[in-house]
This record gives sequence, structure tokens and C-alpha cells, in this order.
Amino acid sequence: MTDLPIERNGKEITIKIENLIKRFGKLEVLKGLNLEVGKNETIVIIGPSGGGKSTLLRCINRLEEYQGGKIYLEGVDIEQCDANSLRTRIGMVFQQFNLFPHMTVLKNLTLAPIKVKKMPENEANEKAKELLGRVGLLDKIDAYPEQLSGGQKQRVAIARALMMDPEVMLFDEPTSALDPELVGEVLDVMKKLAESGMTMLVVSHEMGFARDVADRIVFISDGIVEEEGTPEEILKNPQKPRTKEFLRRILE
Amino acid sequence: MYLCDISDIVYENMKGGTGVEALVELFKNFPFLLLGAWETLKLTAFSVGIGLILGTFIGMGRLSKMKLINYPCTAYVEFLRGTPLLVQISLIYFGLPQLGIQLAPYPAAILALGMNSGAYIAEIVRAGIQSIPKGQYEAGRSLGLTHWQSMQHIILPQAFRNILPALGNEFITLTKDSSLASVIGVSELMRGGQFVISRTFQTFSIYFGIAFIYFIMTFVISRFVRYIERRMATA
Repeated sequence: MTDLPIERNGKEITIKIENLIKRFGKLEVLKGLNLEVGKNETIVIIGPSGGGKSTLLRCINRLEEYQGGKIYLEGVDIEQCDANSLRTRIGMVFQQFNLFPHMTVLKNLTLAPIKVKKMPENEANEKAKELLGRVGLLDKIDAYPEQLSGGQKQRVAIARALMMDPEVMLFDEPTSALDPELVGEVLDVMKKLAESGMTMLVVSHEMGFARDVADRIVFISDGIVEEEGTPEEILKNPQKPRTKEFLRRILE
Repeated sequence: MYLCDISDIVYENMKGGTGVEALVELFKNFPFLLLGAWETLKLTAFSVGIGLILGTFIGMGRLSKMKLINYPCTAYVEFLRGTPLLVQISLIYFGLPQLGIQLAPYPAAILALGMNSGAYIAEIVRAGIQSIPKGQYEAGRSLGLTHWQSMQHIILPQAFRNILPALGNEFITLTKDSSLASVIGVSELMRGGQFVISRTFQTFSIYFGIAFIYFIMTFVISRFVRYIERRMATA
């Protein structure tokens, strides 16, 4: 099934997206999108709303079915994979956190490893403690989500996704629902994660984060990758008129 | 002639019985009524059990995208909500024997009441599931949980908390509706009371006693549900 080279220029390719087409009824949201994500790479996706950024992420872990094109994870067509085991390899962080409100922080983290990976409970608890330590929330282990601030919730959500040891992390506007003063703590956690070598796809309009952390910035507009490049290239010297227009508006 | 005599006696008793006599009969027969009430509680509990199981699955089925699951579940709910419970009980107890299925009064009543409340509970469960934001389900699926695991661990526990008041209402309705089982000879509170009346002719005091006991039972249920609600709210 490995029908694609998983290397290019000596760099391993983790995700390859070919000519992806996604329709909601008659509305075509993704119109033949192409993108490659290298191993350990952090990509920040920017672009106008409705352009298909979130839809792209949701197609990658098959929360959405797509109508055309292929997505390969390490050379294997994801439609050939079992959706559930695919999702354990791809972590997802949502704009609205989506913590389980009826469970403590600890249970939020350990539910999936115990149920899906059949991890023994004490092992899962140890792992949860370690990850909560990494996001700086070990003291909230027995708290319920409603007792946390937005930033704390999102850090728990990141830890929860990491519990499955994913190869790729998808972030769907992780700081858009946060009060401005809480954005930093979440971005710090993401930055550390990127530095640790995680392969990350981040839909975000935090330009500071994009500049400092991204290996590449991808500008998606109208269902295709309009322009991509290093932060330097995209932020300082965008080529396409749409990219220029978008950046002018967002940086104003 | 004989019938005439009986009705005369009944009439005499109905107008002639003094208030004191009525109360004495009520107190004398109260333990017997309580036995009936105990039967009513058991009948209701079994029916609630069946209703909850049926309702949970049919409620989920109504949300299925698969027509093969969705349509029968919808038909079930529509049919059982759209026909009188008394007719359903009669159909199961008097009707099924013609098809070779003979049920004793008690199981027939449990089946009818359980199936009937299953339809109402299905609607409650459906609304409860729909009240949980879609992101909860997606978060579960994105962690690799299956559809059923997400339902079991994430959606249903939260839905249950939201629908508790509506479920409480349904349990109260079912407690009262179980009195219809009297028509097929289940000796629950209503039938027990009628039996007492046939011996004592104290229609008012005994029916009032029956009503009072039903009220106590439903009142306790409603308080109990509210207590659980409050406990779950703080959990």
C-alpha cells in the first residue's frame, strides 16, 4: 500500500495531500488542494474564513468525508486505514476545547488510552500526571473543566490529545475562543511541543506565533493553497495579491 | 329481581353510610390498599426498566443516518404515541392469544406499559442527545473512540443529566398509567381498591384513599428525581 515515495529531498514526508476536493452539498469548500507536511515540521495555516482551513484539518483525521483526491499518512492512503486507529495517530485540538464536562481533568485524559489502547489504569494515570506537568496543570488534576479558565482548558485539551502519542497534531484555531490575556499560555505550550519535534498543523491567526514557531506558513483561500513559504517569505514578501490583501487586513 | 336487590343495597350504602363508617372502612382496608400500592410500584419499576432500555436504543436509532434503523424506530414511536394505552394493553392481553401468544396479566401489563413508555422515553433521549454539542462527540471520535464508546462514555452520561427532569415526569406518568392494568386483572392499587369497594360499598373514601396513595407515590418520585438532579449538578 506504500504507493508513494515518503521522502523528498532527503526529508521524510508525514502527510501528503493530493488534489483534495470537499463539498457540502453543492458548495465546494476544498477545490483540489495540494499540501505536503514534512516530519517534525510545524505549519501554520492562515487565510480568510470560509476558505477551507478547518475543513482541511477535519478531512485529515476523517471527521469529514471528502469527495475527491487523496490524503496519505506516511505513504498510506488514509481511506485504506481504519478510521479509529488513524485518529489515535492524529491528535486534534479544537477551538471550543471540547473537554468532557462530566469528568475530572484526569478522567478526560485517561478515558481514550484506557478504552482505545487498553492501557492499564495506573499506567494511564502516571502518563496523565506527566503530561499535565508538561502543560503546567498538575495541580488541576482533580478539577472539573468548569473550574478552569479558557487557557487552562485548552492546555488540558492539548495534554488529552498527547495521551495517545500521536504522530501529528492538528490545531483548529486553538486560541480564537480565548480572552487575549490567556492566549500566551496556550501558545507557549504549543511552542514547546513544536520544539520537541512534533509534526504540527496549526490553523491560527496568531502572527507572532507563526513568525516565531512555524517552519512554513500556508495561505489557504477559496479552497486551494494560494501561497506557501517560510514565515520570512510570506510575512515580509508575499507574492500573490490575495495574500497581500489578507495580511494587510490582519496586521492592521 | 336479584339485580334490583343488589342495587338497592348499594344505593342504601352509598347514601346511608356515615362519615365515621367510611373512615373506619378506609382505615381497616388501608393495609390491603398498601399491598396494592406495592404491586403498583413493582409494576411501574419493571415497566420503567423496559422503557428505559427500549427508549435509549430507539432514541439513538431515531438519530441514525441509516434508514433501515431510523425508519422502524420512528414508526415505533409514532404508533405507540398515537394509540391509547388502554387499547395497547387490550391488544397484548386479549388480542395476542388469537395469534397463539398467551401472556398472564402481569407480564402483559409490564410489556404494554414498558413498550408504551419506551416510545415517550425514546423522544426524551433523542432530545437529550441532540442537546449535547456536536463537538463533544467529535472530540471523542478524534481520540479514537468508536461511535458506541463515544455514546456510552461521553454523550449519554451528559444527556442523562439534561433529561432527568423529563424522565422524572415520565416515571410519574407511568406510575399513574399503571392503574390501567387493573382492566386485565393485575391486582395493583386500583384493582385492589375496587375489590375493597365491592365489599364495603364505600366508594368515596376508598377512591379517595387510592388517589391519596397514588399522590404520595408520585410525590416521593418527584422529590427523589429532584434530589438526584441536585446531586448530579454538583458532581
